[in-house]
Amino acid sequence: MSVGPVQRDDATAEFFDGAAAGRFLLRQCSQGHLSEPSATACTTCGRAGLQWAAAAGGATLVSWAVSYSRAAPGEPRARTVLVIGELDEGPWWWAQLAGTDADDPAAGLAAGQRLRIEFRSPDGGLGAQLEPVPVFVLV
Amino acid sequence: MPPGTGLALAAWRARCDDSLVAHTSSPSAEPGPRTWPAARRPVIAGLGLTDLGKVYGRSPADFAADAVRRAAADAGLRLADVDGLLTSSGMSGGVSIDLQRDLGLTDLRLLSHMQAYGSTAGAMVQVASMAVQSGMAGVVACVFADSPLRPERGAGAAYGTRRAPAGWWGLLGASGVVGANPMYALAARRHMERFGTTSEQLGHIAVAQREWAALNPAAQLREPITVADHQASRWIVEPFHLLDCCLVSNGGIAVIVTTAERAAGLAQPPVPVLGWAQAHPGHYLRRNPDFGLVTGAASAGPAALAMAQVALAEVDVLELYDCYTFTVLVTLEDYGLCAKGEGGPLAASGVLGPGGKLRLNTGGGQLSGYYMWGMTPLSEGVIQARGQGGGRQAAAHDIVLVSGNGGVLDHHSTLVLGSEAAA
Repeated sequence: MSVGPVQRDDATAEFFDGAAAGRFLLRQCSQGHLSEPSATACTTCGRAGLQWAAAAGGATLVSWAVSYSRAAPGEPRARTVLVIGELDEGPWWWAQLAGTDADDPAAGLAAGQRLRIEFRSPDGGLGAQLEPVPVFVLV
Repeated sequence: MPPGTGLALAAWRARCDDSLVAHTSSPSAEPGPRTWPAARRPVIAGLGLTDLGKVYGRSPADFAADAVRRAAADAGLRLADVDGLLTSSGMSGGVSIDLQRDLGLTDLRLLSHMQAYGSTAGAMVQVASMAVQSGMAGVVACVFADSPLRPERGAGAAYGTRRAPAGWWGLLGASGVVGANPMYALAARRHMERFGTTSEQLGHIAVAQREWAALNPAAQLREPITVADHQASRWIVEPFHLLDCCLVSNGGIAVIVTTAERAAGLAQPPVPVLGWAQAHPGHYLRRNPDFGLVTGAASAGPAALAMAQVALAEVDVLELYDCYTFTVLVTLEDYGLCAKGEGGPLAASGVLGPGGKLRLNTGGGQLSGYYMWGMTPLSEGVIQARGQGGGRQAAAHDIVLVSGNGGVLDHHSTLVLGSEAAA
């Protein structure tokens, strides 16, 4: 399964600007603590007034699941590996694992494996309103 | 500084110091409901269940009103005796404080809509218990209703709400993380990775609950299943098979909370609410070292038992929230029925089901009975505590432990219920 369409809103505009430039943006407080992109207050010290800061893009595998698309009876169901990655900066992120073997997409996965964040566009490319979506790939 | 503030502050500090001394010098349990006079002790006096399951053509509000009427009648009360109303709804909404008007209730002394997802039913009973304990209200109805099922679509589509694909929620959906199934699957997989828990062990929970459901006339799924059936059922989101997942139901359930004094002359055996607690760890969709490993049950369970002045070993019946088999397993661990990480071996050890020694989810739960969020374990807990479980009744039922769980293991409520003898 490819990634789906998503539009920006006020809260995500800068995040998607970063994504378009290939950067995964985290939130950073005045003390330098890093929080997940959707945080509105620092998850370490509670401070508001967060700035954006780019993650390096490296992560480790926390957990994974394999979702199945709906399909007509008898038709194969497409499988997608969904993972939680722990960014090297600390925050967790929920995304697809891209680049897996279509026949056995979760083969060999184990907690602690190294991941890297990349960005994918929905099928049909990026429409005027659609944004790139972060995915993980195995390193 | 206004005059008198200094004095008030000093008095406040003295009170704090006193309570600190009291806490440190006297580690005995806080006085709980068991020590309160009967006029203040909360009990569940009524239970109302509508038709449940594939019941079509009725709105959540209609189910809710029906459930409250049934609960009042069950208690031997007139609907007009209700002076407090707490409402809750499922993901499809449709129940609100407008239920007062639907029921024609006037001069209520307590009215509110509550939402803590699957922990709401327990939370409503807790608020109702505190209301009757304080004298704020005397007869409080707590109700949940939902009707997500439509005749023309399957259970899997029942909660397939269309969100506008925008913002953070849109991004989560665009990433393929939609609904509860993948989130709980990620939690379960982490438990498997850490502790070696297997799908077959989860299957034992599904099989045991189906065995209980076969003894429950109100259960939706009563055909026996085996672990092999569980393993052969289609994947929903790995590591969950279809038979790891709760069903979907239309219907409503209500309970009536009042004081032991008021309940003494009513129609049903009163079910004392002996202890309660909640836990909301607060790590939803963010870094959480406990994710899939430890839930709020680990703190709420012991706290509720302490309030009830009951030891875990005294619990006769467990009614644990079961949106998935895995939720039961991790709650068993967190409540201390086994060591952390040993829920899988415990589930597979033969202790579950009508033939085992643990009385767990005796009505079939939400996997096989009916899916009414926290009202499923609560309603079966009340039935068991009263001794009205028929062919599935536990012989010993003085202490019943009831859990509620909401979000993705993010919200937990615990109730300790008693029988008349336990009061």
